[in-house]
Amino acid sequence: MPRSAFLDLARPSRRHWLGYLLLAPAVLLIALIIVYPLFVSVDLSFQNVNIARLDQPRRPFTTANYERLFASEDFWNACWVTFKLVTIVSFFCFLLGLGTALLVNNRFKGQALARLLVALPWAIPEVIAVVIFAWLFDSSFGLMNWLFIKVGLVDQTINWFSSPDAAFAVVCTVMVWKGYPFVSIMMLAGLQSIPEDFYNAAKVDGARAWQRLIHITIPSLMPVIGVTLVLVMLWVFRDFSIIYVLTGGGPLKATQSLSIMTYEQAFGFFKMGYASAIGVITLIVCVIASRLMIARAPDNI
Amino acid sequence: MKRKTTRHALLYAGVVLTCAILVFPIYWLVVTALSEPSLLRQLPPSFWPSEPRWGVFGQIMAEKPILLWLGNSALAAIGAVSLSMVVSVLAGYSLSRFRVRGGQSLGLFILTAKMLPATLLVIPLFGIFRNLELIGSLWSIILAHATLIIPFTTWMLKGYFDTIPRELEHAAMVDGCSPLGAMVRVILPVSAPGLAATALYGFVLSWSDYAYARTFLTNAQGNWTANLGITTMKGEYISNWSDISAASILVALPILAIYLVLERYLVGGLTAGAEK
Repeated sequence: MPRSAFLDLARPSRRHWLGYLLLAPAVLLIALIIVYPLFVSVDLSFQNVNIARLDQPRRPFTTANYERLFASEDFWNACWVTFKLVTIVSFFCFLLGLGTALLVNNRFKGQALARLLVALPWAIPEVIAVVIFAWLFDSSFGLMNWLFIKVGLVDQTINWFSSPDAAFAVVCTVMVWKGYPFVSIMMLAGLQSIPEDFYNAAKVDGARAWQRLIHITIPSLMPVIGVTLVLVMLWVFRDFSIIYVLTGGGPLKATQSLSIMTYEQAFGFFKMGYASAIGVITLIVCVIASRLMIARAPDNI
Repeated sequence: MKRKTTRHALLYAGVVLTCAILVFPIYWLVVTALSEPSLLRQLPPSFWPSEPRWGVFGQIMAEKPILLWLGNSALAAIGAVSLSMVVSVLAGYSLSRFRVRGGQSLGLFILTAKMLPATLLVIPLFGIFRNLELIGSLWSIILAHATLIIPFTTWMLKGYFDTIPRELEHAAMVDGCSPLGAMVRVILPVSAPGLAATALYGFVLSWSDYAYARTFLTNAQGNWTANLGITTMKGEYISNWSDISAASILVALPILAIYLVLERYLVGGLTAGAEK
């Protein structure tokens, strides 16, 4: 059979022109719409440009954007806001995601429905999630103010979007609500790959429920937890829509993350070079984080 | 025996309570849409309107160009998904079956591209599209969304093709198929469920975008996508929450429908490329 010897896909070394040909369209498109723009943005970050027009001659090379950036208070504020967001939101996403996964992983009637409901916020577009919570936290007729007064947490209505701390809390709430289903889905997949025998053996040895959780469930989930954690942190780090539509970065820059600051500088003040410099910093963080994740990910989960 | 019953009751109570709290915001969106605007300004709030105004959806479609927005979102999503699927199917198949020089570094690059912030790419893309005079046109959105979708779909499809035994192609080629023929006539039909799930996932990514639409389409009202339209309603001087909620439900429905179909495949989609 000359043909199958010509291209035996089961053989370990299978170089073939067809392999290259099939990759070509993707490589071409990725080069045009991802790689080239990345180069442009690194290039822009070293020029003093206010409006991005690529048909104009290139401005002289300068590191002024980066110098201004590192001297700017707003930049360090944005770093701090981003750091707080990433830490707080990832923590609560995990708490809620792992909790719901453990809960619906039990066998009971209606389990399928519960699984569906628990991850439902995943299916709500971010902009719509913002609409929902902007109304829930409305300062005059929002349900949350009414509820907080009712249970006696506060004595008068809170103006959620004009106080820096309150606005930050609302941003975190929306992000946790939108982000925990992802953790939940990933954890459920992880839980289902733990062999039943582990638990049976532990039961025979007389391990209690919490002991089984700490000594079997959590260690077995560790690889999935690692990957999920990086993905959630990167999502919070990059997110634009939730903050931008909810608070626009305000009040008093209390919710201005690096993404929001990049966008504001680029399309609010048209400082494309300066904005690209912030973008390049976020790019470096993202690349390092994703490389860490790839290096640590187990070979086959 | 008795201990088991109490444990069971506790479990049920926990599940019901958790679901109720977590799904409540979505329930409240529905209640708000169905309530008369004046009713929403009453405290204590009513948790189900006495006379739900089911006509609100028809009314909002008459008042606002929601159908146009939804149509634009659909066009952008279909365009971006088609473009992405064509190149991703070919590339995913190649990465799964052939050992191509540079294939591994390409895979790594694609994996990293999944993590790129939209706020980084949006700046150079804005410049590029302005030169091409694409700003304001749906083509800018289609291309921009392809940058979001291709990294996902390529990895998902590579993972899916990896699960299909190579013996299938082998048999087809023994029967006289060319390598390309084996892929088109044997592997693609077998992969139909995976292809569908991947395409739907890409659709969700495109439908959920706000950053690119906000940047490229703000000045082209006729091309606004659904998310962009909704945010302009939120920005109006008096927010009419029941109208915004009704419009939001219409925008969220397609994704909810996809979620119900895709729930079983979701894990594969979300984890694709998370592992090596």
